[in-house]
Amino acid sequence: MKGIPTVLITVSPEVSAQMRPPRALYPKGFKIGNSLGGPGMRELQAQVLREALTLLGEDTRPGQAITREYPAYGEYHEPPRVRN
Amino acid sequence: MSISRKCVPFTPFEGELSSSTIALVTAGGVHLNEQEPFNIADELGDLTYRIIPEDVDSSQLRVTHHHYDHTDADKDINVVFPIDVLRNLQAEGIIKRVAKKHVGYMGYTMQLKAMYEGTAREIANEIDKGSRADAVILTGG
Repeated sequence: MKGIPTVLITVSPEVSAQMRPPRALYPKGFKIGNSLGGPGMRELQAQVLREALTLLGEDTRPGQAITREYPAYGEYHEPPRVRN
Repeated sequence: MSISRKCVPFTPFEGELSSSTIALVTAGGVHLNEQEPFNIADELGDLTYRIIPEDVDSSQLRVTHHHYDHTDADKDINVVFPIDVLRNLQAEGIIKRVAKKHVGYMGYTMQLKAMYEGTAREIANEIDKGSRADAVILTGG
């Protein structure tokens, strides 16, 4: 097989970058356990998922997460950092 | 299937989203109520995974994972495993269809080599042979 295209949705972009994901979306400020948004936020979840899928056809730089802001989430959580 | 350790294993996406089948693979410890929960008692983690069928009732999914707060996923599994959201995208014609198989595993392990060389390949093969997916959405906790 030749492989399967993937898109990662990550709320820990620094940690995820260590694994060099081919395509990754970081919804800025989403907390761990809320990769797509909060519970019941169906429109927001759909927006995040649509934008992640759209990255399949975009000219992304493998290994780096694309940061997008979603004001509808209404919260900001600092993502975990990689300790050197 | 081999997975490169040296470079980003980039697979180009060819085709249109609207004619594509999409699968979900989550490290968020998602599984069916009726499936064996992940073993959170083992400090080394759990290397197994669970197949989640396309017609799953999302209320029958649960999370067994002790390394993130899954309170919100307990209320709405779509926050880490967006199966209902994906179905809506299919209904809207944004994707062609939801894949036949999806995968949940517990993304915590101290057995990195076994995860990388064993579980990850097995999951890739499940998706490749069983789900007929053109692309995969990966999520963590």
